[in-house]
Amino acid sequence: MATTEDRVVDASEVAAEVSRGNLLTEEMVLNVGPQHPATHGVFRLLATLDGEVLVNADPVIGYMHRGYEKLVEARDYRQITNLVSRMDWLSGINNELPLALALETLMEIEVPARAQYMRVAMCEMNRILNHLMFFASFGAELGAITPTFYAFREREDIQMAMEMTTGGRMHFGFFRPGGLKEDAPKGFFQQALKGVRQVIERLPDYENLLIGNEIFKQRTVNVGILPQDVAYSYGVSGPIARGSDISFDVRKDEPYSSYDHFDFNVHSAPNGDCFDRFWVLLHEVVESAKIVEQAIEGMPDGPIMGKVPRVVQAPKGEVYVRTENPLGELGMYLVSDGDRRPYRLKIRTPSYSNVSALPYVLKNTYVSDMIAILGSFFFVLGDIDR
Amino acid sequence: MPEIALTTWQILLLKVAVILVVVPMGALVGGYAEHKVMAHLQHRLGPMYPGGFHGWATTLADGIKFLFKEDIIPAAADRKVFSLAPAAIMVPIIMVYLVIPMDRTLVVEDLDVGIFYLLAISSLSTIGILMAGWSSANKYALIGALRSAAQLIAYELPIVLSAAAVAMLAGTLSLNGIVEAQNFPFILWPPGIGLALFLVFVTGAVAEMTRVPFDMPVAESEIITGPFTEYTGMRYIFSHMFAEMGHMVAFGGIATTLFLGGYRPIIPWEPLELIPGVVWFAAKTMMMIFLFLWIRPTFPRVREDQLQKFAWKFLIPVSLALILFTGAWVLYV
Amino acid sequence: MAVDEHNLSEARKLTDARKLSDARKPGFGLGLLKGMAVTLKHLFKHNTVIQYPDEKQVLPSRTRGVIALKEENCTVCMLCARECPDWCIYIDSHKEQIPAKRQGGRPRKRNVLDRFAIDYALCMYCGICVEVCPYDALFWSREFEYAEYDIRELTHEKEKLSDWMASVLPPPELEAGAELPGRLAAAATTTDAPSRTATPASKPTQTSSAVETRSEQAADAPKAPTAAPTASMQESAEERTPQATSATQVEEKIAPDKAESSPEEPSAGGGRGMDKDEGVPATDSPSGEGTPAQEPAHTHESQAAAPPEPAPIPSKEAPPSAAELDAVYKEVLEEQLARGSSPQVAEARAKVARVKAERRVGRTPTPVHTDKPVPSAPTRGEPSSPTPSGAPVAEEPQPEQGPVAATASEAERDPEPQGAAPEPEASAEPEPEALADPEPEALADPEPEASAEEDPEAVYERVLAEERAKGSSDVVATGRAKAARVRAQKGTRGPQG
Repeated sequence: MATTEDRVVDASEVAAEVSRGNLLTEEMVLNVGPQHPATHGVFRLLATLDGEVLVNADPVIGYMHRGYEKLVEARDYRQITNLVSRMDWLSGINNELPLALALETLMEIEVPARAQYMRVAMCEMNRILNHLMFFASFGAELGAITPTFYAFREREDIQMAMEMTTGGRMHFGFFRPGGLKEDAPKGFFQQALKGVRQVIERLPDYENLLIGNEIFKQRTVNVGILPQDVAYSYGVSGPIARGSDISFDVRKDEPYSSYDHFDFNVHSAPNGDCFDRFWVLLHEVVESAKIVEQAIEGMPDGPIMGKVPRVVQAPKGEVYVRTENPLGELGMYLVSDGDRRPYRLKIRTPSYSNVSALPYVLKNTYVSDMIAILGSFFFVLGDIDR
Repeated sequence: MPEIALTTWQILLLKVAVILVVVPMGALVGGYAEHKVMAHLQHRLGPMYPGGFHGWATTLADGIKFLFKEDIIPAAADRKVFSLAPAAIMVPIIMVYLVIPMDRTLVVEDLDVGIFYLLAISSLSTIGILMAGWSSANKYALIGALRSAAQLIAYELPIVLSAAAVAMLAGTLSLNGIVEAQNFPFILWPPGIGLALFLVFVTGAVAEMTRVPFDMPVAESEIITGPFTEYTGMRYIFSHMFAEMGHMVAFGGIATTLFLGGYRPIIPWEPLELIPGVVWFAAKTMMMIFLFLWIRPTFPRVREDQLQKFAWKFLIPVSLALILFTGAWVLYV
Repeated sequence: MAVDEHNLSEARKLTDARKLSDARKPGFGLGLLKGMAVTLKHLFKHNTVIQYPDEKQVLPSRTRGVIALKEENCTVCMLCARECPDWCIYIDSHKEQIPAKRQGGRPRKRNVLDRFAIDYALCMYCGICVEVCPYDALFWSREFEYAEYDIRELTHEKEKLSDWMASVLPPPELEAGAELPGRLAAAATTTDAPSRTATPASKPTQTSSAVETRSEQAADAPKAPTAAPTASMQESAEERTPQATSATQVEEKIAPDKAESSPEEPSAGGGRGMDKDEGVPATDSPSGEGTPAQEPAHTHESQAAAPPEPAPIPSKEAPPSAAELDAVYKEVLEEQLARGSSPQVAEARAKVARVKAERRVGRTPTPVHTDKPVPSAPTRGEPSSPTPSGAPVAEEPQPEQGPVAATASEAERDPEPQGAAPEPEASAEPEPEALADPEPEALADPEPEASAEEDPEAVYERVLAEERAKGSSDVVATGRAKAARVRAQKGTRGPQG
């Protein structure tokens, strides 16, 4: 952690420096956060400023650490499902998926096709929710306050679809090992398709307000460049990595839960600046909408629960399952010793690794660029801190 | 009607009293318009409760609320300067209203050097902002104040230059004279040049008011409201809210006068002359205010250095070029 | 640094490279104007803001607002308190002794609920308690406006929790293609069926290919070994079509599906629109077997879902009047006394006969119409319709849906033999028994064949055939047959003699 002590500067010293032609300056340590409107949550950035230029930036995390990995050691799997959707709270259902997949792998349960398709549809809808939220916050940090309200309006329809099925708008607790808790009510397909189509219809608004806006371009093009090799070495994943020319998507490369049945593209952009990351985000929304439509229109009939014993007990063993969370690669490493509770559940969250690349990207940027970069590094505090 | 003989002083006092009523009213209405118009542009409703009908009394309620706030002066602040800063910001804005003509005779004082006076006075509020930032004993306020000062100075020039071009077109510095010279508003005639001058003026005005997209000093300086961070209660209202709204209405009025034809109808057609000049003036000013309000939710913020670059490397050369063209127009057309 | 080429494919890189590079170029201010056009467009659009609290959004029925307690159903099993991840349910109870009903009987112990409180300040609204309650005592309600100034008020005691029951909605109808839980499918298809047709036992030879449409499948009533189930299925199919719910069609399909023991039956019919060979989803072998597993989980849904069936299950006969039921009671009572049963036994059997005669009509829980106002302000949008609440009526004891009830239903249909059948049995073995169901095999079989003379194996076969004829499930049939065989072997008497 970089610290500078305030030196008591003598006037003669100043005079001496000035006579030599040097302006005696000092670096200032600025605390961005933990309470700051531009950071997505309680995130602290110790920024060392030389005038307007950031010389060094150290993220300080842990303000929201809730001890998930310890909590889950004392809870059974259904309780964990409910806890875990509170990590990346913008797309709650995506957090439950790796857990369910891990248990299904260990217990060798086969999930019925309808359950798999429903899972895909719900996960992709949550992806759209997540990305819309970042349209809102990125715009707001840069000063464009309108996309915030538009994005929240779009989110309403999709959240209504989620609410009519699971009962919740943000924390769902819906996936179970073997399938889903219950089947969708009548009207879910219609509502989901309506919500998703509305988003696509209104995407040109975001393009005109943000992507096409010259001021936005000035603020984000060639700002906050994350080179591809740096992204690799920090383990950056998700739309941020794809914005840095890493065309890796777990849904395509190691498909799970019948993602290989669906036809969608993975977008990546070569430059690695804020604009490219936002571009990737925008296009991912389009792809997610495609997937939701395919899943719902091709939804098979049948049960939504596989053959699961009454008491869910994973046999002794360990498994690592990774899925494509909207923010990146979410992995769960489950070690079970045959009990109803996990022996150890290590959660590899995408935001944790993504944020570790911040000091590199923030070097020698302006303060206002720092705000833009923080906005373009899509992270959720619950995901970083767990 | 009996003739009321009033001395010049009495008339002056009366006019000043009117202005002192008009400006706050303008600020109130402008503030309410900002709430509602911005809200509807953002697909929401805005305030609906205060006053009952669509929240017409929002700004009034806000003002009364601020009266009850605690008046805090930071311990390390320079008390005198801290207290004087809001006045230093507010007074020039009020003084701007003195020359804006709302009808042929509805003007407090029709100065012969109208524009000159206007631009000179309005730039005085820069000092007020610097005073506010400096006396707050707050690093961020200081940074905000310095940024703000730099921005205001930079954007004074496009305003002055485009106003100078208008003066050339009208042949006089007096605002009444400028309005009288506009059979067709200057935005329409000379074609192209008038519009360009108008755009330059509007850009400069938006920056002068530190509104989006040029609100870097206010909205981002690490903390909200930059130089006015330490201000609370009525001081905040006077230095920030009133100032911004008053500024907006004032610049709306000035833009109307210079470019849209002031209190004259849009085209010199007989039937339109029946509508009183005040109504024309009010309508045009409201359109200008709408333009300012429309820009605010639409654009993101321009970064400080980009803002400066834009002003010095683009706007000022452009306005100088426009003066050249205007001169050519006046001489040869 | 070396790039992992293996993961990068040219086709996926930069699907719209040119568009991106164009987008990055600064325009001439046109983008600004387009943005202004967008906001202006919204200025003139109809506003969709719902002005709370004057207007409220109509929430879906599954919304997790507050948890309601149906006190009558709670047996203080403490499962909810145990499963709650936050430990926010506080339950107190004590055991009470109920004295024996008659001489020589055993005093019963009963759990009495003293305190049932949910601390909503801790509750994370996960719903595990609702899901886990085996007796359907907890329900979700969509009320959410119960904020308090004092945090202690957020602990709702059982009185307040019971009050919330008024706002509980029935579970919504499921989407097309959903597989209904076992009990619901059973309840829907066994109208007056002589057998429990929803079970796999009756239709082992069902074939339905994946491309059959639903109508075909519905029409292709199971070619069951017995005609009666088919008739009943078709009957119920016809009865159901006017109501035209996709759920119903699924029910018809489910019955054949469940019969599928082979794993080739995929998520049936290939789904809507999947006939185009686009990639029929991978079949899941345990689809049929999966359902029994999910049955327990869906118990409360099925029970609660049964009421919102569009029309009540039509009965073939008019419901017996009170006079008729009294007559049955008297008749059985006299007959039993005549046979020499003790008074208590006679009364008990008479009561049972009466209840069964009554229940013949109301096999499923009676729907309850709650016209009680929901404790929130008037809602915008659809008015709250007085749909039946999902909570079963507390006053009437629930008909048992287990195997016993099925056979009891068979007995209900014909209360007469019940009186006649035990006669010979009773004469052979006048064993007093309290509140016991008459011997099923004796009921269906009017022949007063004394089982003692028969070869145990023959007994086994006979009882098995009888049970199958009635449509009991395999397990039940074999169980009873075995029991009968053992009794024959040992010469002991059955439950009813």
